[in-house]
Amino acid sequence: MIEPIISFKDFSFRYNAQKNPTLHNIDLDIYPGEKILILGASGSGKSTLCNCINGLIPFSYEGEITGSCTVKGTETSTASIFKLSDTVGTVLQDTDAQFVGLSVGEDIAFSMENDMIPRADMLPVIERNASLVGMQDFIEHVPFNLSGGQKQKVAIAGVFGNDVEILIFDEPLAALDPQMGMTAVELIDHISMDTGKTVIIIEHRLEDVLYRPVDRIILMADGRIAADMTPDELLRSSLLSEYGIREPLYITAMKYAGCSLDGNRNLCDLASLQFTPENEAKLKAFFTEEREAVQENSNETVVSFSDVSFSYDSGKKALSDINFEIKRGERIAIIGRNGAGKSTAAKLLCGIIRPDTGTILLEGTDTKDLSVKEIGEKVGYVMQDPNTMLVKDIIKDEVGLALDLRGMPEDVKEQRVKDALEACGLYRMRNWPVDSISYGQKKRVTVADMMALEPDVFILDEPTAGQDFRSYTEIMEFVNKLNREYGKTILFITHDMHLAIENTDRAIVFSDGELIASDRVFSVLADPDIISRASLKQTSLYTLALKLGLDPESTIRHFIEYEREVKSRQLLMTKVTSLYQPGGTRH
Amino acid sequence: MNNKLVINYTPGPTMLHKLTGFTKVFLFLVMSAAIISTFDIRLLVPLLIINLIEIISMKPDYKPIVVMFTITFFTVTVVGNIMLFFVSPGVGLTNVGAEHVIWRLNEKLYISKEFLWYIFVFFIKRTASFASVIAFALATTPSEFASGLNKCGLNYKICTIVSLAYRTIPDIASDFINIRNSMMMRGVELSKKASIGKRLKNTVLILVPLIFTAFGKVGNIANAMDLRGYGKHKKRTWYAEHELTRWDPVIRGLTILLLGLTLYYIIRYRIIDPYPVDYWCPWVAREEIEQVSSIDTLFIIKWIKNLRGE
Repeated sequence: MIEPIISFKDFSFRYNAQKNPTLHNIDLDIYPGEKILILGASGSGKSTLCNCINGLIPFSYEGEITGSCTVKGTETSTASIFKLSDTVGTVLQDTDAQFVGLSVGEDIAFSMENDMIPRADMLPVIERNASLVGMQDFIEHVPFNLSGGQKQKVAIAGVFGNDVEILIFDEPLAALDPQMGMTAVELIDHISMDTGKTVIIIEHRLEDVLYRPVDRIILMADGRIAADMTPDELLRSSLLSEYGIREPLYITAMKYAGCSLDGNRNLCDLASLQFTPENEAKLKAFFTEEREAVQENSNETVVSFSDVSFSYDSGKKALSDINFEIKRGERIAIIGRNGAGKSTAAKLLCGIIRPDTGTILLEGTDTKDLSVKEIGEKVGYVMQDPNTMLVKDIIKDEVGLALDLRGMPEDVKEQRVKDALEACGLYRMRNWPVDSISYGQKKRVTVADMMALEPDVFILDEPTAGQDFRSYTEIMEFVNKLNREYGKTILFITHDMHLAIENTDRAIVFSDGELIASDRVFSVLADPDIISRASLKQTSLYTLALKLGLDPESTIRHFIEYEREVKSRQLLMTKVTSLYQPGGTRH
Repeated sequence: MNNKLVINYTPGPTMLHKLTGFTKVFLFLVMSAAIISTFDIRLLVPLLIINLIEIISMKPDYKPIVVMFTITFFTVTVVGNIMLFFVSPGVGLTNVGAEHVIWRLNEKLYISKEFLWYIFVFFIKRTASFASVIAFALATTPSEFASGLNKCGLNYKICTIVSLAYRTIPDIASDFINIRNSMMMRGVELSKKASIGKRLKNTVLILVPLIFTAFGKVGNIANAMDLRGYGKHKKRTWYAEHELTRWDPVIRGLTILLLGLTLYYIIRYRIIDPYPVDYWCPWVAREEIEQVSSIDTLFIIKWIKNLRGE
């Protein structure tokens, strides 16, 4: 019988700073060579579980351990983190922080340096590990010019330096665009197959990880193991929605079409999935059914770019001859790989940088006559990380800051802050310290910061990056409310295909400084050329359509329209319930 | 990249660039010691020339260097010497040992030939140290700096702090720009429209989130390093410390020669036969040197003495 390489027995852990344990009575065996996905929402304990395996607990995070956790027969609570690092390699979520070297070669060498291996012996290992992850031509490169995906590859090559047996990937997809994410999943799969190492992936993006097969999925919830089963079993169960994990789109589509999930073989892999004849018929009927079209937006133009070009000091053209218009109340996804020009376009709109040629009109006014401060009253830019925007201690002071700086009279300020906080659902927290609230709430505070200036256009930079499904849903419902009830125009700068499908009307796609598409989301996502140029990935709906012999564009369109109907029905339901139930809470 | 900071992240192509970190750090330390130890123009000028040759041999981008030099020249040399003239016009006498007045405003404020000589020598000394720092910064990548320092005997944990600091400078710079942009949109005025006091206050507003995001990263970096065995042993090896080039022994030999010369100079002119003043001057013969305590020439002391009628 094979011995498990990692074994938890009735294991519990409580951080010293916390009252209650984060992990409760974990019993889990992982065998050599297995590829495991640890799935769970934020705060489910999945990262804590992995930190118990790699030794960060108790080395860096002190706390109370009961029960036992062994790695290769060694109890982790007493083994040193250094000894464990010979067996367990961890690729952290923040690959930028993990990159401690000043060149690719130096970073791969880091663990060997600490092992006092002479430089001459390092070189062949660096060469070998770099080519394993496809970075052999970048050994001299500095970290500042590498993409997120490349940094992650280097991190993987770096943990290979000490020839570990177990590889842990902590949220490997968090910082990557969809195409890089796909490459990362492929790479992890190659490593697992070629080297036979035990691989543990921590993620909440189930569909993206399942792009390549995993042996087992451990579903974590509230510090306990909620399920330990194969991907197929998990997809058939109702556990995903119960524990706030987004199910793959094609599964949602199958559910909408009224398919039964039992009896389909290879449910977790769309490419090899075999539908029962009954399901195939149901899906085809669902996707060809007539449906009323998505309603058009108003005709009033809020933002217009005509022939806008811009170059940075280095001389490289960042944007050339950009033309587009945005109507009032539209929700737009601005899409493209890093460096394609989407942030440059956003900065131009905000007036932080100014176009070399061409004009940008904001509600009919040429922005060249406006200062950044004046544009700030019309366009609210919400940065990706709320911590980079928050400066005051108390929420209401934070939201009032922009008004203070403009010397607004006290009574006007009070009223505007109150309105902004109410719109963002923060009014009852107005006197709370900013430090004490969650990430999602901080995001709301930053939106309220902008809201206080009463702009018509909001730019949200990756609003859902690093968020689990629950927090994603919360943020998006809130943003949609701003759009619906306050008529705000919303621009999302995003890589998130789900966000674009579910929450936007139109996508503006950039590639190499050019605007390559400005069209309905379903049209963009059905165009393989745009998909590859914008570093997106084909959604599973696209693959599903091909599999069923349907037109991808109309399939995606059907799905989006059906989903919107479902959503608006749900919204109506909650409103009705809250009217009839005294004290009923709305989310 | 990052030419504004004259930090060099990738090794360049010239002979000096290719030397090992240890050679460069060793040369830099000895060069600094030599420049610090003397006010003798007969030594400072050759040292300055050596450093200028080093810089020229690396064919750098001169723009940022000139900008930095101009800034230091104006703040330190121009402004500093004007202040010096008002506070202590007698430095020529105390440091050079004689006083030939060439222009006099009144009894307290005057310019002597020796005062100008003092300023000149000090300028050469500062320029030589500036050139040696620039030459070192141009030639050395931060990793080589860290490994070189470690080889000189400094604890490796301190050396890693050096290279980590360089690793994070560009990240912090880009965070700063992002935060500043979002603050400007909220109405924080950082242009000349606002008064200096207001601008200072507004800059503090940017620093708050900047510091917090930086601290947030520190924990992650520390974990990443622990997980890869940092601090496992009392010593570590360095990828950046590559094998010796043909020139390494030559430069190391020359550095030892410079060290010898410096020591000889210190022992000969400071210990065995100390020169009466710090500054050698071509027109002041050794026998004529007048030794005056520097305190006595301070303007304020003279002024107080005057009041008391001394």
